[in-house]
Amino acid sequence: MYILIVFLPLLSAIISGRFGRNLGEKGAGVFTSSCMVICWVVSMLIFNETNLNTSILYLKLWKWFDSELLITHFGFQFDGLTGIMLIVITSISALVHIYSTGYMSGDPHIPRFMSYLSLFTFFMILLVTSDNYVQLFIGWEGVGLCSYLLINFWFTRIKANKAAIKAMLVNRVGDIGLVLAMFVIFKEFGSLEFSTVFSVMNEVSHSNNMTLICILLFIGAVGKSAQLGLHTWLPDAMEGPTPVSALIHAATMVTAGVFLIIRSGPLFENSPLALIIVTVLGALTAFFAATVGLVQNDLKKVVAYSTCSQLGYMVMVCGISNYSTSLFHLMNHAYFKALLFLSAGSVIHALANEQDMRKMGGLIKFIPFTYIMIFIGSLSLMGFPYLAGFYSKDLILELAYDRYYLTLAHWLGVFSALLTAFYSIRLIYLTFLSNSNTKKEVLMHTHESSWNITVPLGVLALGSIFVGYLAKEVVIGRVSPPVVPTIVKLIPTIFSLLGGILAFIGYNSLKTYKIFLPQINRETVTNLFSPVVYSFLNSAWQFNLIINHFLVSKMLKFGYLVSYRILDRGFFETLGPMGISKWMVKVSQGISNLQSGRVYNYTLVMIIFVGLFILVNYPFVGGG
Amino acid sequence: MYNEYFIISIILFILAVLGIILNRSNVIIMLMSIELMLLAMSFLFLINSEALDNLIGEVFTIMVLTVAAGEIAIGLAILVAYYRIKGTIAIKSLNLLRGWSIMGHLGKD
Repeated sequence: MYILIVFLPLLSAIISGRFGRNLGEKGAGVFTSSCMVICWVVSMLIFNETNLNTSILYLKLWKWFDSELLITHFGFQFDGLTGIMLIVITSISALVHIYSTGYMSGDPHIPRFMSYLSLFTFFMILLVTSDNYVQLFIGWEGVGLCSYLLINFWFTRIKANKAAIKAMLVNRVGDIGLVLAMFVIFKEFGSLEFSTVFSVMNEVSHSNNMTLICILLFIGAVGKSAQLGLHTWLPDAMEGPTPVSALIHAATMVTAGVFLIIRSGPLFENSPLALIIVTVLGALTAFFAATVGLVQNDLKKVVAYSTCSQLGYMVMVCGISNYSTSLFHLMNHAYFKALLFLSAGSVIHALANEQDMRKMGGLIKFIPFTYIMIFIGSLSLMGFPYLAGFYSKDLILELAYDRYYLTLAHWLGVFSALLTAFYSIRLIYLTFLSNSNTKKEVLMHTHESSWNITVPLGVLALGSIFVGYLAKEVVIGRVSPPVVPTIVKLIPTIFSLLGGILAFIGYNSLKTYKIFLPQINRETVTNLFSPVVYSFLNSAWQFNLIINHFLVSKMLKFGYLVSYRILDRGFFETLGPMGISKWMVKVSQGISNLQSGRVYNYTLVMIIFVGLFILVNYPFVGGG
Repeated sequence: MYNEYFIISIILFILAVLGIILNRSNVIIMLMSIELMLLAMSFLFLINSEALDNLIGEVFTIMVLTVAAGEIAIGLAILVAYYRIKGTIAIKSLNLLRGWSIMGHLGKD
C-alpha cells in the first residue's frame, strides 16, 4: 500500500507517455484518472494509519549512497505531515486529472498531457514521502521539471516557452540554496536523513551553522514557494493550461517550499534569526501579492497573485513556529485555490478562451454553477466564517498578533486579508455581476461545461466548505488559540467583510469612477486612482523590470563582453589552441626561411655548428 | 717542430672554407676551393704521418687523392649537365630550392 502510492503515479505516467498512442485520447484520460483515484483511496488509508492511529512508518528500500561517512537510504517516511500532504496531493491531482479530460478534450496531445500530470504527481509524492534530503531533492527537481514541461505544454506559443524557461531558471536559484543547505547539513550532522539530523540537533557546536542552514533552506523555499524576490515566475506560469495552474501553481508544487520549512521545522527552531527572516519575508509577500492582485486584469493572474499572497501567510506562520497551522492553511488553501483555478478554467472555457476580465461580465445568468463555485472559493479565500479558510487564516493572524515583537507581520497580514477580500469580490463582480462586455456571438454559445468539469468543481467546493472544520482537530489539535483581545480576533473577519463590501460598492455604485478598472475607453471610464499608482501595481511593483534591467541584462552583457569576448575568445584562445597554432606556423615558416637555397649559406651553417661543437666539447676532448 | 706545417695546412683549409663561403659568383671556384680543402687535409695527413712516424697517414693521402679525383670528375660532370640546362654557372641562379613563407606569399601576392 505504501509503495503503491509512490509508484502507481509513475506507472501511470510511463504507460500514458509511452503507450499513449495505443491507449488513445479517451483511454489515456480514463487510465491516468483511475490510477489517481486509486492513489486517493490509498492515501485515505495511509491518512487513517498515520494521522488517526498515529502509527508512523519508516520504509528503507535499499542503500543508495554508501560511502564511509555518508550513508543514505532510498527510503520512505510516512508520518503525520506526509499523511496530510498525501491527502492534499492525491485528491487535488485526481480531480485535476478528471477535470483535464473535459477541459483538454479536442487537444491532440492528451496522452502526453496526462502523462506529465501523472509524472508531476509522482515527483510530488516522492518529495513528501522521502525520509532524507537527497530523495526529497529528487522530488523537488522533478516537480520543477514537470512544471517546465506543463507550462510549455503548448510549445508552439513563444510566451509559453519563455514562461517555462523563466519558471525553471527562477526555481533553480532556490534549488542552489537547497543544495548548499544540504552540504552544510552534511558537514554539520554527517547525515542527510531526517531522523538522524533531527535527533542530534542539540549536539550542534556552532549555532551560526544552524542559522546558515536555515537561511539556505529558506532560499530554497523562497524559490519554490514564490516568496518576495523570486516570485516572478508564478504569474508568468499562467501561460500553461488552466488545470496545470490549478495542480502545480496553486495546490501542490508551490507548497513544496512550505513543506520543506515544515519538515525542517526542528532545524528552524534552533535559529531565531532565520525565523524572524521567514516571518518578515512571508508577511511582506502576503501584502505585496495582495496589492498586486487588486489591479490585475487577467482572470488567472488574479488567482495566481492570491496564491502568492496565501503562500506568504503560510511562510509567515512557519516563522512564528506554528508549523501545524501552516500545514493546515496549506491544506485548506489547496482546496479553495484549486476550486478557484478550475472555476476560472470553466469560465475561460465557456467564453472561448477569453482570459481578460474586462471583456467578461454578466456571466451569472449563463453559467450559474460556476458562479456558485467561484463564490464559495472566494468566500473561503477571504476567510468567511465557518468556511475552510476561516479556520486557518484567522488562526494565523491571531498567532501573529500573539508574538508582540512581530506586530508588523500581523498588520501586514490583516491588511492583506482586506485586500484579498477586495480582489476576490472584484473578480466576481467583473466576471459575473457587471454589465457584459462580451461579444454577442460568444455569449450566445456560453454554457456550462460537461460533467467531468463540473463534478471536480463540486467536490472541491465541498472540500472548501468542510475541510477546515473536519481537519481542524487532526491537524492543529495541539495548537491552543492564543489569548488575545476580542477585537483582535474580530479584526480579520471585519476587515475581510469590509474589503468585500468596499469592492462591491466601488464597482457597483460608482458608475463612472470604477475603482481599479483600467481605462478601456478614456472617455467613459476614468480611474479613481492615479495612473502612476495603478500602473505601478499592475506591473507588480516593477519587479520584472528591476530584475531584467539591473540583473539579467547586466549579467548578459557581462557574459558577452567579459566572459565571452575577453576571456574565452580573447585570453584563453590566444594562449590556447588558436594563438599557439598561429605562433607555431609563424615560427616554423621563419625557420624554413633558413633554407635559403644558397649553397654557401649551407656551408657556413655547417661550419659554424662544427666550430661550436668543437668549442663546446673542447674541455672534455682536447683539453682533457 | 712541425708547427709551421700544421699552421700552413690549417690556414690553407680555412682559406678554402672562406673560398666556398664568400664566393658568390662562380661554381668552378667553389669546386677549386673544395679541391684546396682536400689538399690541405692531405697535407695535414702527410705532416702527421711524418711527425708520428706512421704510414697510415700516407695511405690515407693516396686514398684522399683518389677520392678527390673522382669527386671533381663527378662535380664537373654535374656542372656540365647544369650548364646545358641553365646556360649559366652562376651560384646566384642555384637557389631555386629554398624555403618560403606561406603567410608571406599569401599576404603579399
